[in-house]
Amino acid sequence: MLTREQSLALVLRRLALLGKELGKPALEQADEQTRLFGEAAALDSIGLVTLIADLEEDIRVATGKTVFLADEKAMSRLTSPFRRTGLLAEYVVELVNR
Amino acid sequence: MPSTALITGTSRGLGLALAERLLADGWTVHGFARGPKTLVHPRFRSHAVDVTDEAAVRIAIAAIAAEGRIDLLVNNAGTASLNSVLLTPGEVAATLMRVNYLGAFHCLQAAGKVMVRQRSGLVINLTTVAVPLVLEGEAAYVASKAAVEALTKVAAAELAPQGVRILAAGFGPVDTALTRAVPRGKLAEINERIGRPQGTTIPQAVDFLVALIGDASVPSGSVRYLASL
Repeated sequence: MLTREQSLALVLRRLALLGKELGKPALEQADEQTRLFGEAAALDSIGLVTLIADLEEDIRVATGKTVFLADEKAMSRLTSPFRRTGLLAEYVVELVNR
Repeated sequence: MPSTALITGTSRGLGLALAERLLADGWTVHGFARGPKTLVHPRFRSHAVDVTDEAAVRIAIAAIAAEGRIDLLVNNAGTASLNSVLLTPGEVAATLMRVNYLGAFHCLQAAGKVMVRQRSGLVINLTTVAVPLVLEGEAAYVASKAAVEALTKVAAAELAPQGVRILAAGFGPVDTALTRAVPRGKLAEINERIGRPQGTTIPQAVDFLVALIGDASVPSGSVRYLASL
């Protein structure tokens, strides 16, 4: 069982690490409203791909479950789970607790 | 540092020979094959995976990644069919795309994620000289391998920032089960056209791939042929 708070902590921790790696200090200050994708987003497309790849491994280590974040279900949603960190955290909870 | 490779189509032919060579060179090798396990080695792990099965590919690669790194992926699994474009059944063309293109796509996608996490890795997709030669009688096969070459170039551009290199390597007819159904006269004609009248043996193809694997100066996105074109 993964809670929303635990999931959000995983997402924010990974964003902070990416921020250090990419030289984008704003990512270290991200919160659940931070835009990940789209206009005025914190990440470019390469950064988002990297976040997803890294986060899938973080989730496996934290929960023992292998999840695939960017599948067709995620992409076809009306509200993309990759729009904001909070939405992504909720989507992770949904996948892990399914 | 010990390295880990994943090769698809390791039950026979070039995939099996490359696996044996990398094992001899000290690599740990994971092999995907639909057929029975034909290689026994302390550093070889066999996985019964059909590369056209996206879910099976994802699960197997996730399991490999849970054990450690994937430094090299060789998308070798493939199939061929010779026929006039007007006589090729649509299902044959679909099978060629599923195995040759989608199989490589699924493996590249799943292993590529692992490599992005590592910020390093090399993918080699196998293609054929039939693409640049525009070989008549192989339209569906050539189209599937042309798709592999296009995938190589675009994926190389997308994954370069994360340190992942993608190459394609192509051969003329190699003496494997894939080419045994091809008329000898046709094989000789192709071999003449690519400047290899003696043809290409499996050891020669393996040497070519091993040289590519070891040459970090080959630009990502390159398509290299063992041929004079």
